[in-house]
Amino acid sequence: MSLLRVENVTKNFGSLTAVSEVSMKVEAGELMAVIGPNGAGKTTFFNLISGFQTPSSGRIIFDDEDVTRLLPARRVWRGMTRTFQITEVFPELTVRENLQIAVEVASGFRLRLWQSRDAAAKVTARVDELLDMSGLSGKAGRLVGELAHGDQRATEIMMSIALKPRLLLLDEPTAGMGDQETYDITQLIRKLHRDQELSIVLIEHDMRVVFHLADRIMVLAEGAMLAEGTPHEIAANEAVQAAYLGKAAA
Amino acid sequence: MIDRLYWKYAADALIWLLLLTMPFWLNWVGGYTQLGTQIVVMALAAMALNFLLGYTGVLSFGHAAYFGLGVYGAGLTIKYLIPSTLTGMAVGVLTAVVAAAIIGLLIVHLRGIYFAMVTIAFGQVFYFVAYRWNNVTGGDDGLSNWNRMPIDFGFARLDILHSPVAFYYFVLFFFVVSVAIMAALLRSPFGRTLLAIRENERRARFLGIPVDRHIWLSWLISCTFVGLAGTLYAFLNNFADPHTLYWEQSGVFVIMAVLGGMRSFWGPLIGAAIFVALQDYVSTMTQNWMSFIGLFFVLIVLFFPRGVLGVIRRKTSS
Amino acid sequence: MTQLILFNVFNGLIIGAFYALMALGLSLILNLSGVINFAHGGFLAIGAYLAFTLMPFIGFWGALVVAPILTAIFGLIIERLLIRPLYGRDPLYSLLLTFGLAFMFEDGTRFIWGPQTLPFSVPDWLSSPLSSEYFFLTGYRLFMVALVSLAVIVLFIVLGRTRLGMRIRAGTLDLETVSVLGVNVRILRSLNFGLGIYMAGLAGVLAAGMLGLQPTIGSELIMPSFVAIIIGGLGSLPGTLVGGLLIGVASGVTTVFFPSASEAVIYVMMGLILLVRPRGLFGEEGRF
Repeated sequence: MSLLRVENVTKNFGSLTAVSEVSMKVEAGELMAVIGPNGAGKTTFFNLISGFQTPSSGRIIFDDEDVTRLLPARRVWRGMTRTFQITEVFPELTVRENLQIAVEVASGFRLRLWQSRDAAAKVTARVDELLDMSGLSGKAGRLVGELAHGDQRATEIMMSIALKPRLLLLDEPTAGMGDQETYDITQLIRKLHRDQELSIVLIEHDMRVVFHLADRIMVLAEGAMLAEGTPHEIAANEAVQAAYLGKAAA
Repeated sequence: MIDRLYWKYAADALIWLLLLTMPFWLNWVGGYTQLGTQIVVMALAAMALNFLLGYTGVLSFGHAAYFGLGVYGAGLTIKYLIPSTLTGMAVGVLTAVVAAAIIGLLIVHLRGIYFAMVTIAFGQVFYFVAYRWNNVTGGDDGLSNWNRMPIDFGFARLDILHSPVAFYYFVLFFFVVSVAIMAALLRSPFGRTLLAIRENERRARFLGIPVDRHIWLSWLISCTFVGLAGTLYAFLNNFADPHTLYWEQSGVFVIMAVLGGMRSFWGPLIGAAIFVALQDYVSTMTQNWMSFIGLFFVLIVLFFPRGVLGVIRRKTSS
Repeated sequence: MTQLILFNVFNGLIIGAFYALMALGLSLILNLSGVINFAHGGFLAIGAYLAFTLMPFIGFWGALVVAPILTAIFGLIIERLLIRPLYGRDPLYSLLLTFGLAFMFEDGTRFIWGPQTLPFSVPDWLSSPLSSEYFFLTGYRLFMVALVSLAVIVLFIVLGRTRLGMRIRAGTLDLETVSVLGVNVRILRSLNFGLGIYMAGLAGVLAAGMLGLQPTIGSELIMPSFVAIIIGGLGSLPGTLVGGLLIGVASGVTTVFFPSASEAVIYVMMGLILLVRPRGLFGEEGRF
């Protein structure tokens, strides 16, 4: 059974159709990339999957459960987390504090007023582990708002990992990054995908990243699915080339 | 890094020292014990507000309502029910808590300026009740002819009525307890979820934090301690006045927090001290102290928004 | 009995018209600039006092025309100097600033004109009742309703038909897009603010004629304006208009049966709206 099944979802905003009858299947452990020209509806599609918006029609089945109308926070508890196009972190707190909050919430400590030494030690250990994985250990004490864009993004991704998700949605993780930062983030995502037994769905514009990471690719154009398949198949697909070349030339 | 912690502990120690010995040095600098007590009471109210404003990032402008409920709860209890200070306090706090719990449920999903507007408006309801129900509350003249009662421990008697110094320490005791509780809460995992909500509500939500529920809890905690401050204020003056419920009072609490520095724990205490001292001084000089308070608000907002401790922090962290 | 109810309903409509006039000004400023102008009541008072001062020289009608304009100009100065620096910041600061201004205006008017109620003379022929049976239908009250209606209609025409109006409406929905289209957002905000203050000044002149002139005249009227906006719905001017009239009438009717609850009833209505339809009667979803 697929981990995530998106069945014919549509999203209308009045007379404007942002997403039109799109279906997608993601298996456990798979890394799926969603690409397409600007305005193709990719972020809206993500919003529907993660619960930020509700589809006008269609269903979203996560791990055999119909989550179409479930609130975002609830989906997090079911194992689905996401990052945003504009990095969403806690800017005036340190990297360590950002991760600490994520770990505490993941451990069910939201309402805890007091922690035992043991519990606190476990949290710290986990935070250190996350810092290690992402290479942020050296910057743990710095305010996230003051870090370089790439490090902020890495922090955001690690916060999502702290929640031990089974499905991670990444919305344009390398947006606005230079070559070196893009490389670093790509390596991080690859490592996480391998080590954490995680399914990932990724929106990306940078084709190098897509072809480097993706098991399968889905192409959206003007709200509808244009093509779907392995990276090889997509690269050879004429309709996809037309959509990109057509839009890129203009 | 160690340096910063050192400064922090030194500052904390200094503040406690000053508070514990206030009746002794305050007269020396031109003040009087009652002024000191007023500072502590206002500091408690401002710090309680800051729990919500500075730490959870919620713009509440109607805290005078719960302050006033504490004031009237205490006064009405002593005047009409049981002449006992502690009972009066309990009733005052309970009234504030219940009102806050109910109103909180109505407004907790609102945000930003809309939330602020609604909190102001709700504050006014209680003002009108106190104002109009004049056979019970004394209306515009306020509730008078009652006073705080000495406390009988059986083996000893604490005469907080006649001894301003005894009363000061009575108030300080509750201040210490309240502040300790608030500090502990802020340092706990729960407290960190509040910081998360302040920093980035969307991210907090997407980590799985039930934001509305936590905001309601923070609101409740904040209003409880403001209510407690209200009861102490009633005892300070042996008087209950509808103006403690007016929107002006809410604004005063906020400006105290801003003036001292919203992002630091002791900020509101500093702000309260400066404001109360200034108000005391200015009102002896002129009838138009309201204009000065207004001018004060304007100047702080335009030139000093980070507050005293905010400015100091900037200078030491670089 | 019917006379009494009619009297109070009509009274309520008039008060409601005031609330609406004031709330509309407040709403204009809130929608475009995101600023809660707590000093709105202060501007109302200033408008009233300016009219009082000018009346001996240019008469009632002269003051009615000039005072609101002067108040609006004063508002523009305040906006330019004090409020403009705060636009990008946390709304906390603009609220605190306008709080401070409210104190200063109230105390300032008390200082300049004194704390006592001043006699505000309205032309005689307006004050006389139109008929002995419906004694409460004085010319002045009808005149006020007429003037407020006129002002509201003009406002909606300005918003709907003029370029300025369209820019204000577009700016309310998306200020960034409007600025990208070449509109000077700063000037737009200033003009919008001035327009809102003009309405406060006008409301002040009219209110003084009916309620009497004292320094607290502004702070009495500001809270109902808030409630009108909340009930009518944030972001909706027609909603604000309806909200104002509703609370006016509700207040008026309550005076007949429970006079001491007449102020509190508008807050009860607000509580009900928040419970049942939090975005207000005409509010847009997601404005807050």
